[in-house]
Amino acid sequence: MTNLATPLEAETPLYFGPRGELFGLYHCEGTPARKAVLLCPSLGQEQIRCHRLYRQLARALAAEGIAVLRFDYYGCGDSAGASAQVDWQRCLADTWDAANELRRRSKTDHIIAFGARLGGSIALTTAAAARFTELVLWDPILDGKDYVARMDASQNALRIDPKRFSTPRQATDAADQWLGFAISARLREQLVAWQPAPPPVPTLVLDSLAPASTHNRRSLGTEQLRVKTVQPATPWDDPGRLEMAILSHTLIQAVTTHLRELT
Amino acid sequence: MQEQAFRFGRARHLVGIAGLPTAAANAVGVIVLNAGLVHRIGPFRLHVELTRRLNTSGYPTLRFDLSTLGDSGASGESQTRTRQVCADVGDAIQLLGRQAGCTQFVLIGLCSGAQNVHTVACTDEKVAGAIFLDGYAYRTVGFHLRHYLPRLFGPARWLRLLTRPKQAAGASDSTPVFAVERLPQSTVRADLGHMLDRGLKLCLIYSGGISRYFNHARQFRECFGRVVSRPGISTGFIREADHTYVLVGDRDRLLDRIEQWIFRNFPVEHEGDSS
Repeated sequence: MTNLATPLEAETPLYFGPRGELFGLYHCEGTPARKAVLLCPSLGQEQIRCHRLYRQLARALAAEGIAVLRFDYYGCGDSAGASAQVDWQRCLADTWDAANELRRRSKTDHIIAFGARLGGSIALTTAAAARFTELVLWDPILDGKDYVARMDASQNALRIDPKRFSTPRQATDAADQWLGFAISARLREQLVAWQPAPPPVPTLVLDSLAPASTHNRRSLGTEQLRVKTVQPATPWDDPGRLEMAILSHTLIQAVTTHLRELT
Repeated sequence: MQEQAFRFGRARHLVGIAGLPTAAANAVGVIVLNAGLVHRIGPFRLHVELTRRLNTSGYPTLRFDLSTLGDSGASGESQTRTRQVCADVGDAIQLLGRQAGCTQFVLIGLCSGAQNVHTVACTDEKVAGAIFLDGYAYRTVGFHLRHYLPRLFGPARWLRLLTRPKQAAGASDSTPVFAVERLPQSTVRADLGHMLDRGLKLCLIYSGGISRYFNHARQFRECFGRVVSRPGISTGFIREADHTYVLVGDRDRLLDRIEQWIFRNFPVEHEGDSS
């Protein structure tokens, strides 16, 4: 493989998947990749808030000689499908497709998955099927039922937020949505029913949750797990920052250092 | 129809997604600019929903990231942001023109995107229409009356006013509406007039989310004078909506308005239509 002209040329926007419905951006600096990382996004507004950070992380990893694929699930970002069509099982299938696309492009079978929030939950759930060799999970959601309850509460608070609406909105105006995105009853049920299993591969959890948050990781077991605290705390649930990007150089540094050290 | 991803631009530094329907002939191309720092999908995927709706009706579209926003990089040129924006949109126009065969374009932008639309629409001859979502606005006497008069008669409001912490020095009613430099009111008014003189169609849709400086449909005229009564310009105020259309129903109503305006001003000629 020849070296590509510039770092920008080394970022290829593309559509992939069985029907070409999934959008992705493949980062590869040109030299044969020693390993590859699949960046699994979160869902909804968290995906938008993390877009910049995912790009920065992808570029940092690509500079280390690691091939990276960022992608959007069906119904998210630039991928086909409407927001209301986001489906947990389809997210898992898309992750599997993305892992194969990364395998094909990078010509390496050594695929590590990184995911923030629900992206971490999806990486965890699909780890065995997608044959990930390692997981890096950033504040993963580990309790679907609790997540649904929190999203419902946030949506209810949003519709009466005086900083957003001069007149509070009716509950019906805000129904079947979470923070800007239509959600289906099916997705809600899927999330409520979802239970994490212990990871089948070595897993690093990067914890940047606020001290008051629930840090319950019992469901992950201890065998494959390492936990590293990342400061400062990430304001995932701060309603005042709903539309502000999540940026963390500490996080990027932690992931890059960890993956550099992996053999 | 499937969308296509492109890396393009004079330094191949821009990333965008084109929707290229095949059925329409002579349709204008629609280009959507970034809203603030949000990447090309727009707040809550507004730009994705908008472009796909227009694709269904036969309009080719491009949503893309300006230099250094979203997935686009820097061009490496040394020039002002204004020149950069014009050059980036010029690249986008060239791409969509080449891919879809269209020669005229409608630009759409929200907030700082509307400001960028204004900048480009002032000079680019290929721009035939512009949609400004929460674009330039200025506090007027009418604004102040509508804002303060109701407050005069509410004791609770007086209590809040008297007990709240003092504003930071320098913050006043003349606080700029845009976080970046804004154009003087007289310039914007004259620019809109010149755009109409050149035959551009203009659409201004403002939301209740900018109530700190815009609070009534009448304020379009208060800000821009008789120019808003000219036939080529259309204005709308969606009072109940917030600035980024976080509720699905509000977003649908906005998209309906945009779609209807485009249908009315730039009808698509389908094959077989009589001319």
